[in-house]
Amino acid sequence: MNQEAVGKERWVVGSELPSVAKTLSQEKIDRYARASGDFNPIHVDVAFAAQTPFGGTIAHGMLLLAYLSEMLTAAFGRAWLSGGRLKVRFKGAARPGDVVTARGRVQRVEGERGVCSVECLNQQNEVLVAGQAEVRMS
Amino acid sequence: MNRAIEALEKGHQFSATFFVLDEEAVARYVEAVEDEALPRLAQAEGKAWVPPMAVAALALRSLMEEMTLPAGSIHASQELEFVRAVEAGERITCRAWLGHRSQRSGWWVLAVEMEGADESGQAVLAGRLTVMVPG
Repeated sequence: MNQEAVGKERWVVGSELPSVAKTLSQEKIDRYARASGDFNPIHVDVAFAAQTPFGGTIAHGMLLLAYLSEMLTAAFGRAWLSGGRLKVRFKGAARPGDVVTARGRVQRVEGERGVCSVECLNQQNEVLVAGQAEVRMS
Repeated sequence: MNRAIEALEKGHQFSATFFVLDEEAVARYVEAVEDEALPRLAQAEGKAWVPPMAVAALALRSLMEEMTLPAGSIHASQELEFVRAVEAGERITCRAWLGHRSQRSGWWVLAVEMEGADESGQAVLAGRLTVMVPG
């Protein structure tokens, strides 16, 4: 995709948004903790996290939302940054080594706003995050 | 004030917080999340756009400094509205209040409403964070 094409696609109901896939690692989770200031030990303290029901560290939920946001920025450009809405539930944990795929589909158009289903999946197709995004499409 | 969140009453107003995402912090965030789309958009438009989720993450982070979530708390859901695009260097003030508080099946269900505004008081972000706290 070239620079001029960012967010300039024509979307119709049923269109799949270009997916984004990232491979997680503890180093990436640590880097996100430094960038966001969120050093909750469930994310960054391997020994602590091993004693929790998760059995190990998990990625920040907001890191997964950043992957959704990248997908929506690529698809809708400035319309996502100005007027975008997101409503999601966290359904599962992403762990170091997981491949997280953010994907979405245009579900319907209400006036000038498009409603997309969005989700993050791991490499086993388990849903980690699911919900809806709304963005101005005209 | 920094009391356990489940001890607070519905309507409780958290102290206002603020943050600034300068260009260095934005670059650090973009690298951390490996966002390839935002830099392309920013370059195409000649603007130092901040990734909207960076604004949300910093707003949530600043809120977390005002509340205590016990171990075992779960970030259950998130709603966000990006009212307008934010540029690097803007000072964002974040206000939040406890919008919902209930207890069921051994969990407190708490919803925190938040708003981020620029220096002129114009909204840039709104959101609702739902957390489940054991108890």
